[in-house]
Amino acid sequence: MVKQNKFTVSHAPFWHDGDSIKAMNINIMAALLPATLFGIVQFGMPALGVICLSIASAMAWEALFSFISKRPIIIHDYNAAVIGMVFGMMLPATIPWWVVIIGTFVSVIVGQQIFGGIGSNPFNPAVIGIAITSLSWKSLFDFDSALVNYQFDFTALDPLGALKHQGPQIVDMFSLSSLLMGGQVGAIGSIFGLGIILGGIYLIIRGYIRWEISVAYVAGIILTAWIFNITDPSKYASPMFHLFTGYTLLGAFFLATETSSSPVNLIPMLIYGAMGGFMTILIRNIGVYPDGTIYAILLINLINPLIDKIRPKAFGKCKRSKQCVK
Amino acid sequence: MIKRSFIGLTEPRLRCDLVEPGPKEPEAIPIPPRIILLLNEHLDSTKELLIKKGDTVKKGERIFLYKDSNQYVSAPASGTIKLIAPFTGDFGSLATYLVVETNSKQDIDNSFAERASTPDIEIANSYLRGIAGEPPLKLLAESLSGAKSGAININKIVISGIDDDILCTTRQYVLTRFRDELPKAIELLGQLTGIKDISIAMPEALATLSAFNGMNIVKVSSDYVSSLSPMLMDKYLGISFIPGKTCEELGVCFISVEAALALLKAYTEKMPVYEKIITIIDKNGKKSRVCATIGTPIHRIFSQLGVETAEKDRIIIGGPLRGVATYTLYHPVTPDMDTVIVQDSSQIPMVSDYPCINCGKCVRICPANLPVNVLVRYLEATLYQDASDSCDLLSCVECGLCSYVCSASIPIFQYIRLGKYELMKIESEDVEMEAHNG
Repeated sequence: MVKQNKFTVSHAPFWHDGDSIKAMNINIMAALLPATLFGIVQFGMPALGVICLSIASAMAWEALFSFISKRPIIIHDYNAAVIGMVFGMMLPATIPWWVVIIGTFVSVIVGQQIFGGIGSNPFNPAVIGIAITSLSWKSLFDFDSALVNYQFDFTALDPLGALKHQGPQIVDMFSLSSLLMGGQVGAIGSIFGLGIILGGIYLIIRGYIRWEISVAYVAGIILTAWIFNITDPSKYASPMFHLFTGYTLLGAFFLATETSSSPVNLIPMLIYGAMGGFMTILIRNIGVYPDGTIYAILLINLINPLIDKIRPKAFGKCKRSKQCVK
Repeated sequence: MIKRSFIGLTEPRLRCDLVEPGPKEPEAIPIPPRIILLLNEHLDSTKELLIKKGDTVKKGERIFLYKDSNQYVSAPASGTIKLIAPFTGDFGSLATYLVVETNSKQDIDNSFAERASTPDIEIANSYLRGIAGEPPLKLLAESLSGAKSGAININKIVISGIDDDILCTTRQYVLTRFRDELPKAIELLGQLTGIKDISIAMPEALATLSAFNGMNIVKVSSDYVSSLSPMLMDKYLGISFIPGKTCEELGVCFISVEAALALLKAYTEKMPVYEKIITIIDKNGKKSRVCATIGTPIHRIFSQLGVETAEKDRIIIGGPLRGVATYTLYHPVTPDMDTVIVQDSSQIPMVSDYPCINCGKCVRICPANLPVNVLVRYLEATLYQDASDSCDLLSCVECGLCSYVCSASIPIFQYIRLGKYELMKIESEDVEMEAHNG
């Protein structure tokens, strides 16, 4: 008789490619780091404080809610940390601490947990948080007054705010390269365009975000802004100005690509991204808000379930009706 | 285990292994003192058993459980029945297993030899069902006799020289090793079934061998999913796959190359063939091939080859993406067992109860274009009919790639198989209800 070992019995497949939600989230946070570090260098300790508090409170809210709702505490997958980090990056460095705490509450609990937790949120949680806090305490999100005590060696004006109030003649005050390299007034993580682009490209190469969405979003921005710009250059700013200011790049690479609120099929992804870019520019140029990224993202999140129904025919489903043999 | 590459821009492409050049002859495993036979019929205590403990069986003798049984298992070696016990398989399917203590002197049952002079599908069906490779004789016989008229009508036979999972190479080995006998096997199959349209499916890389000249060859790409029968039929045979129907229902019968050759050998030697060639892959990925009698417990093979197993390892029958795991080393060699893999406990990936996060990797990799991300939500909620109606559950070709890439480690493949099984149950209940009411 052979001594009988106990073997592991389970179902196929017996292999896995080794990927996990945790790995995905760590990569997203790593990709966010260049832009965040630049913001911390630019705005100093207050910015570091905001980012740390945002990540910590987001994780704490998730743990607390999981505990209350008797769900497994999944803090170790960094899902809440990513939400907190993205939320923190969209705040001005001088935001009061209690706005951060309330904002992460709204993001994590209202934006995700009450819908059923990870994977069930219809909207990007961080965007929900920023939308609600920025509407509630509008003055705190005015980047010009928030950063009034800083001394900058570049034009110390919020580009989109200035564009809204003074028209496109102010565009000449900002050089594109300076905008791209972080020479602008704005949120902690949104000013360093190059860093965001590099982070986004890293995630695209690693396959953690879907390039179709980002590319379509950027294309939507450029195309829509360009159409506005050629119709009346005296009223509307150039496409590149729109691309490198406000939350645009953050939206293209990190907000619109949030997994559970974005589509997965090719054509829907392109529509979704392009719609996002289109709506952003529409709100900026015609609407009352200086930056429309947040609302554009929420709008495309809303149409996601509908457009994601456009999908290729499944295997064996006839392509033309006459091929159908029943 | 093939892991995700650093660059994840495109989905991973898994390729089927090719048989190694100049393969060694399989190591012969002697007939063990006890063999275990699986009989695909459950023990029914209300009926009188035809066999009992202590009965002797001859090599090649068919064992029936009951008088009206149409399932049988033939004894690969002569001996004495020591145990008759119930066996539960996948999805609760009931079967019976018999333990036969073999004796050194082999008594041979001659009933097949007496009838083997001319190939006849009925005779083959009555005597050769359990030979190596498990030829689908019952199906062919039913199709030809028109017993269930209109149900299945086979008009095309494909001898499959490709393995249906990535690490498996047994069929390819058999195909190349015995390639000279193939024309005769094809001729025999033609005589048995009267079907003229017989082709051989093989990997592209092997199709260049000169021995295959003049045969009707289907060259199959070594991309993993191309080798699965529905894909192969749709892509290479030009027969459109219809969801919910098997290849057999669409008129194509796949028969493994080993089964075709075993039929040939059975008719030339007038003796059913019970020696099965199996590829064994140990923990380090070392492949070795053995030739074992059907019914041999796999621990016999492991001990002869020096393959080690430890607590919590996994023993996989079949390939890494579509196989089944067994809980015991006493699992017998079955007629259709091509590959046995031992997976070290440290290599076993865990599944999780995470919800789908909609990352879309499954949708990208799915060869059947299923909306897996939506499908899995229906299946988790046990809405099988909805899953079939709005998410094309029945188009799934069961490749297992969705679970392989799932970031959340959801056992999607198992959900799909369960969904299909439950759906089938619902449908057969409906049919019964209608028959009852009407």
